[in-house]
Amino acid sequence: MSEGLNYTFLIDTFFIALSGVPITLLVTVVALLIALPLGFLLALTRINQVPVLNWFSRIYVSFVRGTPIIIQIFIVYASVPLILSLFFERYNININVYDINPIWYAFIVFSFSTTAILIEVFRSALSTVNKGQLEAAQSVGLSNLQAYLRIVIPQALVVALPNICTATVNLIKATSLGYAMSLQEITLKAKVAANVGYNYVEAYIDIFLVYIILCSLVEYGFKLYEKRLRRYKYVSA
Amino acid sequence: MHNMEKYFDVSYIWNSLPILLPFLKVTFVVAGLSMIFGSFFGLILAMMKLGKSKIAQKLANFYITILRCTPSIVLLFLVYYGVPALADNFGLYLHDLNTAVFVVITFTLQFAAIMAEVIRSAYESIEKGQFEAAVSVGLSPFQAYRRIIFPQALVVALPNFGNGLIALLQEGSLAYTIGLIDIVGKANLIIAANYNTHALEIFIALALVYWILSILIEKFFGKLEKVFSKGKHTINTN
Amino acid sequence: MLKINEIHKSFGKNEILKGVDLTIDKGDVVVILGPSGSGKTTLLRCINFLEKADSGMATFGELQVNLHDASKKDIHTIRQKTAFVFQNYNLFNNKNALENVTEGLVIGRKIHKTKATDIGKKALDKVGLSDKYNSYPSQLSGGQQQRVGIARAVALNPDIILFDEPTSALDPELVGEVLTVMKNIANEGTTMLVVTHEMSFAKDVANRVIFMDGGVVVEEGTPHDIFISPKEERTKKFLKRVLPEDYTFYI
Repeated sequence: MSEGLNYTFLIDTFFIALSGVPITLLVTVVALLIALPLGFLLALTRINQVPVLNWFSRIYVSFVRGTPIIIQIFIVYASVPLILSLFFERYNININVYDINPIWYAFIVFSFSTTAILIEVFRSALSTVNKGQLEAAQSVGLSNLQAYLRIVIPQALVVALPNICTATVNLIKATSLGYAMSLQEITLKAKVAANVGYNYVEAYIDIFLVYIILCSLVEYGFKLYEKRLRRYKYVSA
Repeated sequence: MHNMEKYFDVSYIWNSLPILLPFLKVTFVVAGLSMIFGSFFGLILAMMKLGKSKIAQKLANFYITILRCTPSIVLLFLVYYGVPALADNFGLYLHDLNTAVFVVITFTLQFAAIMAEVIRSAYESIEKGQFEAAVSVGLSPFQAYRRIIFPQALVVALPNFGNGLIALLQEGSLAYTIGLIDIVGKANLIIAANYNTHALEIFIALALVYWILSILIEKFFGKLEKVFSKGKHTINTN
Repeated sequence: MLKINEIHKSFGKNEILKGVDLTIDKGDVVVILGPSGSGKTTLLRCINFLEKADSGMATFGELQVNLHDASKKDIHTIRQKTAFVFQNYNLFNNKNALENVTEGLVIGRKIHKTKATDIGKKALDKVGLSDKYNSYPSQLSGGQQQRVGIARAVALNPDIILFDEPTSALDPELVGEVLTVMKNIANEGTTMLVVTHEMSFAKDVANRVIFMDGGVVVEEGTPHDIFISPKEERTKKFLKRVLPEDYTFYI
């Protein structure tokens, strides 16, 4: 390594790392698609103090926020196959649990953790929307659902957006831990390429660059969207 | 589920705890050092951001953005492989350095970026008038910061500092990947010694330790905030 | 005692002060009137170096300083000789009322704590807050906060107290208590430079009134000169706008 960087490898591996982006994005998008509505619904149970669900959400959020994602991954990756194999054994289903594509585990883990983060995001965003907004919507004859969809959620979304952005960036970063489940994403692909010639420095520079590009783009995208959503605030100012 | 305990045995959780807990020391030392160095470095970054120099502002912003976009594990390996390689160029041989050093460097870099934002926003939350009033009664600018601005900014920063500390502790759980035998590293050793059976129980034990730690830190900072927030009791109406 | 010469100050392209002169003698109570944006507040802030003037000189007794590039030592000296009462009070949020008053004495002036506490209590008594020594700003009403602000200034026993619109952040029903306190300390012979919109205070308490507009002093004189027989057109216009139609008859 004292000869300096291997630039050919650096460039080649950059594209190998880049080829992991679709998997990273797929996991991110699926996790968000599950976590956004679920997180919102559970946030409502917190706000409206729904008896059992309220407590469940609290413990759930506390657990996810209190434990490292890598350990959540370890637990899911160790427990889900165990449960599935027992289940398959019992009902004589002929599937080998070890043939299951690791991406399914990735979906489970990252949806699980992102949902908890978003519960908190939505809970605090919803609590910033004045209660009078809901009452006013109902007073002009909107149903509860309509009031939420047309008045409360659009306002809460503006407040929540920066935090959703942070959650998304953190999610993308967290998928780098997919290696623990043999998920073929950015980090693992580049690392495997580096194994051959011990070009780890180059490989990690590539991985580093890919994440910076990816996350900067996501942050930029969210900023643009936020600007559009914020229009109503400017008009009133 | 007749043969469940063949796979899952709760006693492994309780039995592993006494073996794991002593290794929290390593976790604490690494996190503690990163916290100290990171806070200091973060203060410098915050001062750069708040200062008048445009170049310093850009530099600090650039650093914070980059760090925010880099997964911990990537940063960890970049430091682990990159720092010795870089040192080679200067004729320094750092390949045999204790892994803990690389872990501390990594999380110092990361914690500094977090703290820079925490300090900046805390500072900006204090109205300018507080400083003006302080110098108008004859305090020097340094005394004004020390006695009026800092104590108020501290209260604002405390919850975020606590959250940063919890994040630091959790991200630190990745240190095992470069061979640090902290609590996670030890857990993996136990699992390997069990021929990879009963891994789930050990992981659950780990999760419990981290969960309790996080709750304790949160409670501690909640208490601390109450102690420090004199003069604030009627403002917090939420 | 205090003399200001040719003070200039711009914010970007906006010239706020266009060469203002000002002389204040010991025991004077000078009120500066003028429409918002006329530069009154900026003038006050420049005197205390809360803003850095673009140019101008200040003579403070023996001490003469350039308002643009005064040394740290000179700034400190002038701040020791002056006290400032802010529009939005600016009480130290992390200190109770008594600590707010003693902070400058103990830390800024190195007065012993027991003595400072003594002075502080007397100052708070003077503004009618003997029962609020231990209250934090967040527990006080606006009027009470501003009275602590005034006590904080008085306790320093400065050569002059600068008041920057001390009542304009207050609810109307709280203005009276603050003005009464200000009147009392004026009657004790304290030198005061007051920016305010309270015409009654200017009329009853000031011995000199300055009318500012557009960054210059338009006219100055006794309250009688300004309110009864203003010479300048701009002064007349301003007074007509802020005073009730037949106000002058009552003076």
